[in-house]
Amino acid sequence: MHTHGHIRMALRFAIVALSALACFFSGSALAEEKSDDASVLTYRSNVSEVRVTFFVTDNDESDHPLETLSKADFAVVDSERIIRSFRSFGHSDETSLDVVALVDLSESVAPRFRTAMNQVLRLVAREQSIGDDNISVLSFGGNRGGILRGSGDTRASDTAPAILCADGCRSPDAMVSLLSAQAGGATPLYDALIFASDFIAQRRRDSVRPVVILFSDGADTISLHSRGEALAAVCEAGALIYSVDLGTSKPQELRRDSYFISGGVFLRQVSEASGGRYFSFPQGGSQLDAGATVLNAALDDLRASFVVTYDLPSREAGFHSLRILPTHNRKLTFHSRNGYDYEPSR
Amino acid sequence: MEPKMLLALVLTGISIASAAPIGIYQHGTVVRMRMGDCVLMHGGFMAAFGPPQAAQAEGPCPEYTLVTDKVVFVIVGKSSNQLVPLAEIIDFRFQKKELAVRVDDARHESKFAIREMTLRSEWDLLQKHIEQELNEPPRQPVDALMTLRSRE
Repeated sequence: MHTHGHIRMALRFAIVALSALACFFSGSALAEEKSDDASVLTYRSNVSEVRVTFFVTDNDESDHPLETLSKADFAVVDSERIIRSFRSFGHSDETSLDVVALVDLSESVAPRFRTAMNQVLRLVAREQSIGDDNISVLSFGGNRGGILRGSGDTRASDTAPAILCADGCRSPDAMVSLLSAQAGGATPLYDALIFASDFIAQRRRDSVRPVVILFSDGADTISLHSRGEALAAVCEAGALIYSVDLGTSKPQELRRDSYFISGGVFLRQVSEASGGRYFSFPQGGSQLDAGATVLNAALDDLRASFVVTYDLPSREAGFHSLRILPTHNRKLTFHSRNGYDYEPSR
Repeated sequence: MEPKMLLALVLTGISIASAAPIGIYQHGTVVRMRMGDCVLMHGGFMAAFGPPQAAQAEGPCPEYTLVTDKVVFVIVGKSSNQLVPLAEIIDFRFQKKELAVRVDDARHESKFAIREMTLRSEWDLLQKHIEQELNEPPRQPVDALMTLRSRE
């Protein structure tokens, strides 16, 4: 009887002790969370700090961006080094988009050209989402007359990248210019990406996120520049590429016996490299809303964007690759640009 | 003893028993990650001289540097999407020449081939040396003749 009493006492003591321990640990976790919230954002851009803007999607929730995230939820892989200690972490200060629609008017997309142009017109008409001075339309390939040519274009080709309209795309003149575009000719896609990167870089403003919505099949046929140069220009400009695949090939198609890369693969590659997204819509009526779908995705991503800063892990000059990966939840996908250039002399 | 208390004890015992593998796990921290070739996974004599394999993993495989108290492992995944959550501390155990990593809070494991094993003390020395090399100021050009020519 006496022994039973001792056991009961010991058990009660153990339960009380466990509860106290649980309270202690949950309390310290809360305190840590509080310190996370209190962290001050730094937007300094200098040689000792790396600043990465990103958004996160949950594969379980149809790729919808997450609006809440803790800095314990992810780690940054910077040139192979894993960074878990951050200087600052918080929501991005970007509040609006500067959208450049880059439209492929070449022969290869001719069957889907009308659909693509309708998508662009619907995109331009969405006044409630984008201000008139924050949307421009550029094109490449095709047969156009009376439109602004890309600067420095010495080729007598009609396919060179050109500005269809900038700041005022909703005006009647701009609409006429958009409607008069015709499909045809070769595809200088890489040149067009470099042209668009340069165009958008010159328009950079504080708190405005530069976004390129690229309507193309991704198959370059005539560029003076290489694929690598195009990717580098996109990364340098800091614009996010949202690509809409107008092609019929599957993005997974990749011939292993040559340097050939399918258009879909390139579009996915350039989107991921810039921290944007790739969209492929099935042939049919739903394609008409593709532009709106992509714009909504870009706006959702903007609202749910985060900024993390950390000490420069290595002073090695050149390209530093970047990747953000989850620490616990493997269903999270982090979207950010895939690297940055570090030059010690800067 | 009260029956309720006894039931609680039994349930606790069962839950501890079901989580038994936790006890056999070692702990480590992944400090580096890169996408490398998968040659280790598909290598060996049979892969080189045997009949061609129909299905092989495409793309690069993830390679992790896993640091523990005494040993540093370089482990390689079997496919491009075999990614380990990069938590501060991860649990792992040896299983038939492979390293089984607990990939989440559940009892799911992911198996990796071991590419390299180094003593922690040696690895620390090597890292220190690499850091020193990187932090040194850039050396002067060695080829004086080339420098002279470029000046001219």
